[in-house]
Amino acid sequence: MIEVLNGGTRATVQDAGRPGYRHLGIPGSGAADKFCFALANWMVGNRWDAPAIECALGGLHLRFPEATTIALAGAEMWAQINGMNVKNFSALSVEKGDILTLSFARDGCRAYVAIAGGIKVPEFMGSSSTYLPAKFGGHEGRALRAGDHLVLSHRPREAPRKIPNGYAPQLSRHIVLRARPAPEWELMSAASQRHLFVSPFIATPETDRMGSRLRGDKIASGSVRSMTSSPLLPGTLQIPPDGQPILMLADGHCTGGYPRALQVIRADLWLLGQIAPGSQVSFRRCFTENAPKILAGRNSFYAGDSGGLIDGFAF
Amino acid sequence: MSIKFPKISPYGDSAILVDYETSGYSETVHTRLSHLASMLRSQDIWKEIVPSYKSLLIVFDVSHLSLGEATGKIEDTLKSLNDSPLRQGKVIEIPVTYGGEYGPDMATIADASGLSKSEIIDIHSGEDYRVCMMGFIPGFCFLSEVPNVLQHPRHDTPRAHVPAGSVGIAGWQTGIYGLGSPGGWQIIGRTPLTLFDPSREKPFLMEAGDTVRFIPSSKALFS
Repeated sequence: MIEVLNGGTRATVQDAGRPGYRHLGIPGSGAADKFCFALANWMVGNRWDAPAIECALGGLHLRFPEATTIALAGAEMWAQINGMNVKNFSALSVEKGDILTLSFARDGCRAYVAIAGGIKVPEFMGSSSTYLPAKFGGHEGRALRAGDHLVLSHRPREAPRKIPNGYAPQLSRHIVLRARPAPEWELMSAASQRHLFVSPFIATPETDRMGSRLRGDKIASGSVRSMTSSPLLPGTLQIPPDGQPILMLADGHCTGGYPRALQVIRADLWLLGQIAPGSQVSFRRCFTENAPKILAGRNSFYAGDSGGLIDGFAF
Repeated sequence: MSIKFPKISPYGDSAILVDYETSGYSETVHTRLSHLASMLRSQDIWKEIVPSYKSLLIVFDVSHLSLGEATGKIEDTLKSLNDSPLRQGKVIEIPVTYGGEYGPDMATIADASGLSKSEIIDIHSGEDYRVCMMGFIPGFCFLSEVPNVLQHPRHDTPRAHVPAGSVGIAGWQTGIYGLGSPGGWQIIGRTPLTLFDPSREKPFLMEAGDTVRFIPSSKALFS
């Protein structure tokens, strides 16, 4: 069991997500940064998709009534155990009564705390991930708060592991996303097309698991004002008439009616979860033939099926 | 009615969009896409199949298919489509309180159309609508075309919060918000019915193919 002493800004139980229901309006959800989530689980010896805690921005305090192994990955949050600094991207042994505190996210937005065995919460439509807008999944369909007790599952697991040198990602306040033109790209003016790929945007405070409203050069979406509602995916960049783009995330709407300018490539989707309010976000053009190569390159390091680190995981 | 073969294009690097060229609501397109969605679903190889009014998004498994292979399979499926009529679902009556605090954009629609509030209510509730698709949030239903005079574009900047049960208009579309959510639709009323409740045995009140009938109510529907 784990005791929550402080839920922080927003901490939720997440797993690999709830795929296959977008036609019902139910997004894939799951860890916003599935890569760091998978690394955290891998370090404690869990399956990569075991339910873990996702802490956005910081402030999470946990107490461990039993000795166990935990791992931290994702945003750097000055983690401490009983007031002593501990390293991010590492597995840690905790003793009975130890207290883990996460301070404020310095680089990135979301930190993952994986616990040996994984967290046990009821599944909804095949997943333990919390979807806050509809209050389902995870721990009672809501964010964690002081006084919550989380039950651990005692699934078989392997010994804790250490991430090899060079395998932990370097997160930054500047998020660079490689993207491809999306269906309404051709409707953008030449100037807007250029701005999308050269101007930095800033993530506004309206940034959460659903999406991030960006501010930057006004992007004109041309003559299209009223579009038929059309499908969206995490990583789709929509341009409403006010010219301030909206980037869709893990809990984002399944369809939308604003022109779609860009789609972030699969290999970079994990970075969406590390966009914090105030982060700089820029887009770089990715050509059709390059996307599969970039994906295969990443997978060769981290995807078990491609000879990489984490069994069952792939970008 | 004959329609052109749809455009099939990549959407990012792991999805494909099938898009019909049509302006406004087309029942033929809706029928085609519904058949395509159910045929693809029966193939059991696709990760997501997300229909909308005039397009269908298919997410493929990049570890098993290349973009070219996935496109080929979708093209083959499209060529074998037929135009048999769609399943008719159940009829669902939706009580609605129009205008006032429950329909903050009623005045916008009245100004744009030159109609009075009661005329708008009569026109909006005077039609039966088909549930064309579900989404963009759990429980939201996208309905068939709203009469011409009521059509109005979305807000330039979406509202940060639209309450659950809100009945809205976006262009020629009309629909009901299944959950409180950010949203850009013009809101003209609200229903007290819960369209989506994860604790119910059947979480969804309706499904694609059903018919929605709005019943205007002057009584206090909300307590």
